[in-house]
Amino acid sequence: MSHDESTDGESSIRTQPRNSVFRTEDQTPYVESTIIMTTVRVVAPFILTLGLFVMFHGADSAGGGFQGGTIAGTVVLLLAFAFGIEPVRDWLNADRLLGLVAVGLLTFLGIGFGAMLFGGAFLQYNAYPYSHASKYGIELVELGIGATVAGIITGLFFLLAAGFETDEPMEDEQ
Amino acid sequence: MNELLPLLVAIPLVGAVASITLGSWSDRLAWPVTFLTMLVHVGLATAVASTVYRGGTPLATAVGGFTPPFGIELVVDGLNAAILVLVSAVAVGVLVYARRAGPHSVAFHTGYLLLVAGLSGMTITGDMFNLYVFLEITGLAAYALVATGDDGRAAVGALKYLLVGTVGASLFLIGIGYAFVATGTLNMADLAEKLATADPTLVGASFALVVTGLAVKTALFPLHTWQPEAYASAPDSVSGLIAALVSTVSAYALARVTFSVYTVDFLTSSAFAQEFLLGLAGISIVAGSLLAVMQTEIKRMLAYSSVSQFGLVVAGVAIANEAAVTGSLIHLVGHAVMKGGLFLAAGALAVVAGARTVEDYDGLGARAPLLSAAFAVLSLSMVGIPPAVGFVGKWYIALGAIQAESWPIAVVILVSTLLTLAYFLRLVERMYFRTSSDDVTSSTGTGATAVADGGDDTDDGLTRPSAGMVAVVVVAALLAVGLGPLVSTFEPLLEPTLETLLQL
Repeated sequence: MSHDESTDGESSIRTQPRNSVFRTEDQTPYVESTIIMTTVRVVAPFILTLGLFVMFHGADSAGGGFQGGTIAGTVVLLLAFAFGIEPVRDWLNADRLLGLVAVGLLTFLGIGFGAMLFGGAFLQYNAYPYSHASKYGIELVELGIGATVAGIITGLFFLLAAGFETDEPMEDEQ
Repeated sequence: MNELLPLLVAIPLVGAVASITLGSWSDRLAWPVTFLTMLVHVGLATAVASTVYRGGTPLATAVGGFTPPFGIELVVDGLNAAILVLVSAVAVGVLVYARRAGPHSVAFHTGYLLLVAGLSGMTITGDMFNLYVFLEITGLAAYALVATGDDGRAAVGALKYLLVGTVGASLFLIGIGYAFVATGTLNMADLAEKLATADPTLVGASFALVVTGLAVKTALFPLHTWQPEAYASAPDSVSGLIAALVSTVSAYALARVTFSVYTVDFLTSSAFAQEFLLGLAGISIVAGSLLAVMQTEIKRMLAYSSVSQFGLVVAGVAIANEAAVTGSLIHLVGHAVMKGGLFLAAGALAVVAGARTVEDYDGLGARAPLLSAAFAVLSLSMVGIPPAVGFVGKWYIALGAIQAESWPIAVVILVSTLLTLAYFLRLVERMYFRTSSDDVTSSTGTGATAVADGGDDTDDGLTRPSAGMVAVVVVAALLAVGLGPLVSTFEPLLEPTLETLLQL
């Protein structure tokens, strides 16, 4: 989870690069394309829905938080490709991503510890006094996993897109 | 107590979330949150272990109330209770050291707690697939921790570790797959029953893949290639933690899988199973020692020494009689204390004098008396001088080898002791019987800077080791000596567990 902090640090630098180490824009500048933007605008809601659909199928069929979270995470990647990485990064700053990851993990832990409050063991879904507690409990855990995975995937993407900064000069620049 | 077992994994996870969220608010909160979490963890681990040893029966629980073999089972018996306390206690010790020595980043502290969660999970799980999951969590956290060093060398070391470690974990997973095909179950106790009547070819293939996968994680020769660079390039605190725990828990997993899943019957009756393990262990003992003698950088030397010592542990597992397995467990715990202490001592000495290579150790005994004494005590304990714990572990393993009449291993253990003496005694000799060839100021200017560029980030801001750093190293040295005589009281506690494991 180291990326959240560093994305935060680098986003401020990126607006005015101090040296030419940031290569994404130097090498492949962002080109605004109506076709890509329109396509992404149409497709994105469906992909997000598919992500949620897969997440909700964690309890009773093939699916789950890991797959669903990855699919949901790709929505952000698509937006970044269509509208440029910078604006999307500003819109979805590091704190929000960190929040997503933390909320996901806390959902899982909350469900786990909550069962102990009701007198069960850790993560014992049927300790909750609701009907179908197991099913809804698993769904919630899957949603939590999905949030964490989506947050991590997106964070890793921004981190890779930012490149990295070293004190030593790169081999190709003198 | 049973229902509290999942908390051994859940508490570090809560701490990890807390340290990253509070840490993003204020950097200074990361260490206290991590420390507090570890204190709770060490309390729980100690309580679990004392219940197990006092009651003489294993604790077991089904996670979430899903009954095994379908649900995940957590089991703590005499074998892993000791490892559990070791993981928790060493993590607290290294954390105290890291308070001043660094790294200070939030990412380090979060990774630290995730690593503890993974290691605790690997230690207490009674389910093969769950073991794989925790193996991966441990691995990923360890790669990230190695990469917290802020130079290129740490990044390369971590990448190498990532590539080799992933191959190892994949082999382990394929091995589980073969066992699953043969039996249709993943619970360890259930597997042990069903593997006995399963297709021997599948079982043999599964055993070979699982052992090879875990041997990569334990860093046995010739599968150790990730290990020296990862240990040498990581920040000193991380080297101490990883060297003390990650390979140790992998070696424990190897023992657990061998005895609780494939069973001793399989090991002794099926063709080449025992020979495979013994061969791997024997080569590792000799090659690790020889490579350690050839090193000039201290941390690489210590890393190769681990290759050799884990060969010893696995040899004890392969011999599989009471004395040898007792020796393996003692040596696992003892090695973790000694090697962790040595890495931390090496880090502290590097702060004092910039000493990173064997030559830099000339005359250190006069410049840093306490740290040098602790380093010397830990070294001699590692060689196996009585009454230190290093001696006791080796003694039991050698005794087991002689009882089992496997003479080659007995000879290898003796030879390795001589080699260990060679590479540690040259350091002790340099520290106490030579004077520094050049002045205090210029000693860092000769060979050290080239290496210091690569490995250390303890030097930034620290001119001398803090009291906490020195205290942790001294406690490790005292433990290395003090645990030795305690073994005779510990041995009877282990007996009921060994009777079950070895089917005596």
